[in-house]
Amino acid sequence: MSLRTEKILRSLDRAYNGPICSVKDWDTKVIPQTIRAILKKYGLEKTCDLENPINCDDDLADQFFRAGWELALELGMLNVETERIIKITEEELIDTLKHKPKEIILGSGSDQVILKARKPEDPTPPLLAASLGIVVSEELYVPIVEGIVKYKKLVDVLHGPSLATVYGRKIRSGTPYETLMGGYEAELRCEALWRAGRPGMAHTGIAGAVTEYGHLGGAAAIGGPGNVTMALCPVELKTNFAVFHRIMMAINNNMRIRAGGFSYIGGYAGPPEGAALANIAVDLLIATILDSDYTSSYVYDIQLLGNCGRKALWANSIAIQAVSRNTNLIRNKIVNETGGPCTDMFMYEAAIGLMNHCVSGASKTTQPRSAGGKLTDYLTPMEAWWCGEVFKSCAGMTRKQANEIAKKVLPKYEERLSNPPKGKSVLECFDLKEMRPSPEYQKLYLDIRKELIDLGMPLDKVYEEF
Amino acid sequence: MKEQILERLCNAIVECDVEQAAKVAQEALDASIPAIEAIQNGAAKGLDIIGSKFNSGEAYLPELILAGDAMKAVFDVLSKALKEENADSSAQLGKVVIGTVSGDLHDIGKNIVAALLAVNGFEVYDLGINVEPKTFVQKAEEIGATIIAASTLLTTSMPYQQDIVQYLIDSGLRGKYYYVVGGGPVTADWTIKIKADGHGYTATDAVEVCKRLVRSGQTPGTFEPVILEYYQG
Ligand code: B12
Repeated sequence: MSLRTEKILRSLDRAYNGPICSVKDWDTKVIPQTIRAILKKYGLEKTCDLENPINCDDDLADQFFRAGWELALELGMLNVETERIIKITEEELIDTLKHKPKEIILGSGSDQVILKARKPEDPTPPLLAASLGIVVSEELYVPIVEGIVKYKKLVDVLHGPSLATVYGRKIRSGTPYETLMGGYEAELRCEALWRAGRPGMAHTGIAGAVTEYGHLGGAAAIGGPGNVTMALCPVELKTNFAVFHRIMMAINNNMRIRAGGFSYIGGYAGPPEGAALANIAVDLLIATILDSDYTSSYVYDIQLLGNCGRKALWANSIAIQAVSRNTNLIRNKIVNETGGPCTDMFMYEAAIGLMNHCVSGASKTTQPRSAGGKLTDYLTPMEAWWCGEVFKSCAGMTRKQANEIAKKVLPKYEERLSNPPKGKSVLECFDLKEMRPSPEYQKLYLDIRKELIDLGMPLDKVYEEF
Repeated sequence: MKEQILERLCNAIVECDVEQAAKVAQEALDASIPAIEAIQNGAAKGLDIIGSKFNSGEAYLPELILAGDAMKAVFDVLSKALKEENADSSAQLGKVVIGTVSGDLHDIGKNIVAALLAVNGFEVYDLGINVEPKTFVQKAEEIGATIIAASTLLTTSMPYQQDIVQYLIDSGLRGKYYYVVGGGPVTADWTIKIKADGHGYTATDAVEVCKRLVRSGQTPGTFEPVILEYYQG
């Protein structure tokens, strides 16, 4: 039995014999009360600084880390089906951090990339996976993916969109249609990568697998150590059997594990400080309980249905910095834009969100989440390219510089966060034959790019240096 | 004395104290305060406070849920008196069966909608996640609901929202329940296409839509859906 299998089985066993707690009590009492108490104990209440959305205070980040450490050990994660808590010991957590790799190799051949642990203000450029599982029409799947991965400098890993239909049939979650879709999506992904001349690019599993069925249907076809399985946990500090199924699939197919859990401002974790604390704890817990190679957890704002407002920027900055400064954990951090393709809103949100993640120490991101990722065909290669350009170019900036830029750009979009423009669908603003944006979208890109360069964002760097 | 009890009732809700809320509700009964007054001038005020605190980011989801529970406890104590006062319908807007449809585990948005509905005077039955179409209808029949509300964030689970309408039609119950849909990918077009009665973009909209529906007095399934959606075009 491998060490990984042993660790996962230990966690699964605990899901059956750990302390009992109902989901309702966990969500409405245990989580909020414990978070409140720990924030108080460490003097972290009301530390969120909306005037300075990107944290520049190392001591504060370290204090958050200490508090997050305590939260992780005090709580553990609740397994939803058995309503039992999977607890970890401090020795296990220390052991986890000691043995996590500082870098891992993704992909194969000339498409291989190295995913590294990063520190705040790290000059090493982070990696970009694209796109999030935004749903696209079946006939557009291959060209959109081909476009997304076109530029090696910008996009490193294929997360991929989701399919709207399988052979023209509507896909219903958790049915044989979904199982069939799993294999079919794997096939289309490989075809698109081959067409783009990047056959060795890493996959992160079946994007459209909403349940185990799609995952089981397709994950094996894109398995192996250069590829990743994705297991996402319910909010807050919870896990479930769907997550464990995906982890077992990773073991069966010798894949890397990317596991994540989100934290909500306004949700069970409470204020921005509470969400940041929960986010730190969940990174530590997932790395230990699910033996992830890297985590994918971030803070989201329940009121704004995204994370590009001041509160979420701040909470993400402090949480990312806390873990970056104090561990070697590799972390994927997502920006949740609300504006759609071909809007200034999307471009501003992506630029500020990604700059923040980059200077705070994230290793990788998965992008774009245009129009919140909710609308079918509201995804073009252009958003992925823009995200790659910004995310990578910001490597090496100081947090102070980034904070100054954020303060200037936020007023350009923040009032629209609760009423964002949905933008245009792919066929309305992108030419999939020529693989270029419409003249309108191109102009928007050039204008905003120039505006941000004038404000101090080093956007030419990605083309010049790397 | 009366003012004091009403104030304590309001506070019990604001403090999300289920036991205290039930206890003060009983005191109100013992002090012969009409049940409808205890609700309107006591408990409901507490809910208003929590609701607006949540909207302004000063209160969070757990408070919203627990305040809803406390309100439920108040109703449990006062239900008999309310019936005797013949005030049942004016005190409560009606019963809502809510859930996230099959294959979908996203529940934060649905939980906010459920909690805000409860805080606004609906009696809410939350079926949780991954709920089969017919379970919504069965529960509605069992408890005598007015509204069925279905949430999904997954495009691949949207067909199950349509299945619920079909199940209502096929079982001859379409005219009995207002059917409201919501969640990320749900749009005005989809709502019209599947012939639901309402759709709201946010939880606040969901409450407004449900209120408008119950107050309309129209037969479900026979009118243009009530839609509050403002994703800019
Ligand atoms: C958090 C999240 C998760 C969490 C869910 C945690 C939980 N307990 O709920 C986790 C990590 C588990 C998760 C998993 C997955 N997710 Co997810 N997730 C999200 C995310 C980022 C936010 C959703 C959220 O909670 N929003 C906050 C709440 C407050 O907003 P809301 O749900 O929209 O609800 C509001 C309104 O819609 C409305 N409303 C909600 N319900 C109702 C009901 C009625 C009747 C009314 C009137 C109104 C209403 O009121 C609410 C409050 O204002 C979205 C992206 C996004 N921006 O939406 C993706 C998203 C929904 N997920 C997506 C995907 C693909 C997945 C996975 C398949 C990923 C994977 N491959 O594993 C799995 C699926 C698991 C499953 N079977 O359900 C896609 C769906 C794409 C699509 N169109 O189908 C999205 C859009 C991401 C994307 N494309 O970028 N996810």
